[in-house]
Amino acid sequence: MATQPSVLSGFIGRHRNAVLGGAAVALFFAAWQAIFLVVPFNPLFITKPSLIAAGLLDLVESGDLFHDLAVSAVPFFLGLFGAVVIGVPVGMVMGRRVRIGYALDPLMTVFYASPLVALAPLLVIFFGVGLPGKTIIVFSLAVFPFVFNACAGVRAVDHLLVNVVRSLGGRERDVYLKILLPSVLPYIIAGARIAVGRALIGVLVGEFFAASEGIGYAITRFADIFAVDRMFACILTVMVIAIALTEGIRWAERTAFPWRFGQ
Amino acid sequence: MAEMQTLDLELGATSGTLPGTASRQRIESIALGTAAIVLLLLIWELAPHFLPIKAGTRLFFTVPSRIFATLWEMFSTGSIWAPLGVSAAAFAIGLALAIAAGLPLGILLGRSKTMNAMLDPFVTAFNATPRLVFLPLLMLWLGIGMWSKIAIVFLGAVFPLLINTHEGVRNADKVLINVVRSFGASEWDVARLVILPNSLPFIVVGVRLAIGRAILGVVVAEFFGAQDGLGVVMVRAASSFNVDIVFAGLIIFAGLSLIMTGLVRLLEERTSRWRPQRAANE
Repeated sequence: MATQPSVLSGFIGRHRNAVLGGAAVALFFAAWQAIFLVVPFNPLFITKPSLIAAGLLDLVESGDLFHDLAVSAVPFFLGLFGAVVIGVPVGMVMGRRVRIGYALDPLMTVFYASPLVALAPLLVIFFGVGLPGKTIIVFSLAVFPFVFNACAGVRAVDHLLVNVVRSLGGRERDVYLKILLPSVLPYIIAGARIAVGRALIGVLVGEFFAASEGIGYAITRFADIFAVDRMFACILTVMVIAIALTEGIRWAERTAFPWRFGQ
Repeated sequence: MAEMQTLDLELGATSGTLPGTASRQRIESIALGTAAIVLLLLIWELAPHFLPIKAGTRLFFTVPSRIFATLWEMFSTGSIWAPLGVSAAAFAIGLALAIAAGLPLGILLGRSKTMNAMLDPFVTAFNATPRLVFLPLLMLWLGIGMWSKIAIVFLGAVFPLLINTHEGVRNADKVLINVVRSFGASEWDVARLVILPNSLPFIVVGVRLAIGRAILGVVVAEFFGAQDGLGVVMVRAASSFNVDIVFAGLIIFAGLSLIMTGLVRLLEERTSRWRPQRAANE
């Protein structure tokens, strides 16, 4: 019969990695809080977890945090949505039509390799500091992972399947809808994981540059007024959101397409 | 990271048919690729002649010929070298620091399960978060200038290196490690003889990804907090509606990024070429 301690050790044994990771994170914050007992504390440049928590609570209670997050979420999702709607069909056609692939591949590679963030000042001039500018920055950063992954997904499709559909009288439309789309889905989701990171960069760049609200603007504003605790609260919020998005997509990949994680 | 790598491999693998067809395909692909780029540039160049453009838009509209003229002028007068040098220094120092920190940490995490479990939350968190979010903080700590730039480059480049090294070390053949151990090798020998050669291709992929991140880091850092550098030149040009210079800067950044990743890709092919052959010899 399992006694109390052995249940605990069994739990630790089973979730060893999670326990170690959690302990390390807890230790990190504890050390951060404790170090100012030894080191002089200068609230202009550094803060401690207790103050961050207070700042976070303050931001949540005043509703500022949710307001900024909501403002940033709109261009983020609009841009990402546009990237899927445009990127996936373009990528699929590039994969299916060999010559179109040849023609567009170098162009897309150049765009993907170039730091498109560098166009942000221009886009801001063109489209203004509000929603359109930010959405277009997000879109231009997030579209390429979808293009390349949809293209790679189509190229990896078993040609036999395509031939079967055609032999049975399927048209090009059937090939796209019945074979290509389902088989590129895992690739698109893998692309989404990369695209989400780039889309976050897009939102932040747009808001660092020129904005009057949004989470990126909040971070720069708190930095400008040396409100380090609230700045850290915002940074940690962005980190948590980024982790939730990437790990959420990773989880979706694992549950929906377990065969792609055979290791 | 690993997914990116496999996707790249699949992208590169065009259907291998007869050698004659292959070379014709290659010519066709180069011809079509060039044609598309030329066509795009032509349309862009000729667009103002066919489309009515408002005077307001004309202020920040440009055509490729003017961009290339600006680019030529920047190089011929030599006005480009000073800012480019500043950017290149931040890039090189940040990347070097990232390699110096990322490789040993990656090997450590790959070898020690406990360390990996403890540091994994931090690596995941920092890797998922756009490093840009730390820029205001870094500017507060390090001031506007070289060091906050280097820090951003470092933060961007270190994680692909660390993660890929870790992946390479973890994928090292356990049998080989056991063999070397059985002959009395120390942990250092194991690292030198088995792990390093095995993870080299992964590390090189990590370097390639890191270069892209590092360039991105230089650009954003110079956009928001720097006094000189190519990014600063671009932002100043944008705010005075000098669109040509913005595009010229973008072309320089993109060109450097393509050249460097291309060189690393060559190295990648070189370092992984012997792999299948050695497997066949075994």
